[in-house]
Amino acid sequence: MLQRLRESKSMQGTFLALPTTLWLFVLLIIPLFLTLIVSFGQRSPDGGVIFSFSLDNYIRLLGYSTDCPGGQASCFDPLYVNILWRSLTLAFNTTAVVILLAYPLAYFIARAHPKRRNLFLFMVLIPLWTNFVIRVYAWMMLLRKEGAINIVIGWVAGLFGIEFTPLEMLYTPGAVLVGMVYEFLPFMILPIYTSLEKIDNSLYEAAADLGANAVKTLLRVTLPLSMPGVVAGTILVFIPVMGTFIVSDILGGRQVILVGNLIQRQFLDARDPTFGSAASLILMVMTLIVTYFYTRKFGFGEEIVAA
Amino acid sequence: MKGKPLFNLLGVLVVLSLALAACGGGKATEAAVSDGPKVTSSGFACPEPNPRMEVTSTELNIFVWTEYFPQDMLDCFELVYGIKLNRDEYSSNEEMYAKVSAGGTAYDLAQPTDYIVPLMIRTGLLQEFDHSKLPLLGNIDPNWMDQSFDPGNKYSVPYLAGTDAIVVNTEAVENVPTSWSDLWKPEYAGRLVFIDDSRAVIGMTLVTLGYDPNTTNEAELEEAKAKLAELVPNVKLFDSDSPKTALIAGDVDLGMVWTGEAFTANQENPAIQYIYPEEGPVLWQDNWVMLKDASHADAAYAWINYIMQGEVFWLTIRDFQYTNPNIAALEYAKANQPEVYSAYFDSPITNPPAEAVAKGFGIEDVGEATPLYDNIWVEIKGGN
Repeated sequence: MLQRLRESKSMQGTFLALPTTLWLFVLLIIPLFLTLIVSFGQRSPDGGVIFSFSLDNYIRLLGYSTDCPGGQASCFDPLYVNILWRSLTLAFNTTAVVILLAYPLAYFIARAHPKRRNLFLFMVLIPLWTNFVIRVYAWMMLLRKEGAINIVIGWVAGLFGIEFTPLEMLYTPGAVLVGMVYEFLPFMILPIYTSLEKIDNSLYEAAADLGANAVKTLLRVTLPLSMPGVVAGTILVFIPVMGTFIVSDILGGRQVILVGNLIQRQFLDARDPTFGSAASLILMVMTLIVTYFYTRKFGFGEEIVAA
Repeated sequence: MKGKPLFNLLGVLVVLSLALAACGGGKATEAAVSDGPKVTSSGFACPEPNPRMEVTSTELNIFVWTEYFPQDMLDCFELVYGIKLNRDEYSSNEEMYAKVSAGGTAYDLAQPTDYIVPLMIRTGLLQEFDHSKLPLLGNIDPNWMDQSFDPGNKYSVPYLAGTDAIVVNTEAVENVPTSWSDLWKPEYAGRLVFIDDSRAVIGMTLVTLGYDPNTTNEAELEEAKAKLAELVPNVKLFDSDSPKTALIAGDVDLGMVWTGEAFTANQENPAIQYIYPEEGPVLWQDNWVMLKDASHADAAYAWINYIMQGEVFWLTIRDFQYTNPNIAALEYAKANQPEVYSAYFDSPITNPPAEAVAKGFGIEDVGEATPLYDNIWVEIKGGN
């Protein structure tokens, strides 16, 4: 047996992949399959699952209802479609803002003196040592009406004798965007940094030799070569933002409802695991579609491995 | 050394975290073996259990509301019995029910509000209490016992009770509301805080329409949903964990909260007042229940008996002021902690006037109509 294992490369491969395969099978494939089964069921009044085969949950999610207040045969209520759309736009906006903020910083770190780079990277990572939820709560302290930001602006306005009414920042969609950007910024900085750092210095020299100015070098050399990092970062940011519910719960005052919140509420507040399962699957499919088209256009972002 | 700030910094952090870990460990062992007078970290001397129950379990898992337990009460129980108390928290009955009914939890005790108790009994999640193991049940005011949701208290033992009513910062709000329906006024838009409690908020809305707060009539519920849809965009914050924080910080100026939150906010800022609306407040009562698959029943009885002792339960009057059904605790506080007692007794928040209670209404289990309520809540809040 051992002898055969030593000789057979494919058997070695099977052995090495076995733990992860089992892990994924038990904790991903089986639960996913159960979610699929539950999503075709119906809730019982007490919040249990009645197993059946019905597409009602999916139809309800798409907004069609056969139980209309006006008594028509069918009607359209865009409630859930709106929630899906809101999550999608928020994920796009977050990713865009994160790229705009992360790219210059990653560039700065990659071009810094090698001795300093580790320190800078370390500083990017430090916030991740604190629990995610605690960092979101910290933003509450900053954004509230009598919070740090309003106090500072009020103080500055006072110096110039300007009347200042505190800004309403907390519990708004803007607060959710700020929180999301803050939470996911490091996941964009690191892959972009990795791909920028790999660019050979001689390429810049060659560009300069050939008469390219700074802008042209950025557009023709730096950007194309760092695209894999941007792609990897986008995947690392976009997918979690689509499903997160903590940030919108805390900074949105439970008023900004995203798909993540919708799913969480179906399982807890509404006690309707069947509808929650259908919403989870729709979220997965939506994310898959976006990721698929994105990676077809830009490649898979090999930096995902490096990051 | 120069040029290696990273490693220096790392070194400091490692040392710090080791030191912190050592502190944490030290405290745990201290709690387990302490002998002699038992004093909590805040300096509270723990009363001895009376009677002391026979307990073989070394652990107790409770699933309870947030912001509801004096730390001294929890610490003392661990100290006097040497039992490790594991506490998980929830902030809505629906959440608690969903988690418990999904199975796979190891909780011994949970703490549902009145209307959830019949649901938990019906779905077979609970086991009956053995009243012979609850010698201190007599400490509870009979007014809170033998309620319609659990006749004879077979499955439930009262913990605390209270109301949901209007809270308002009278400094910030010009026209103080006097009824639930006032909350719909446009002048309050964007300044409201509500507890994230579906049944209470929908019940209140039904009452403003003149309907039964526990109606199962679909047309009435549809009307309530439409009415609520006008209110929800005006609400700045739904928060069942700590709505007082936003009130005290001035992020919101008025809304619907429960007793203890209003009491604390009022202590912080006396301008924050609690108004019993003309239509009547929501009246509720939270209760201990033992889950069917509880594996530490002996520890659970020990816990309930220990905290029911007057000299322990008065801590709730000190730290989390709700309406207190425990007569022994009230007597103990009156005799030994007159300031705490009078703060409790003289406050209309914790000790609501009889006419407010008379107008109040309770939330009841609606059985088959539950999905209607659940859906209204999720759809209303998803709409904006």
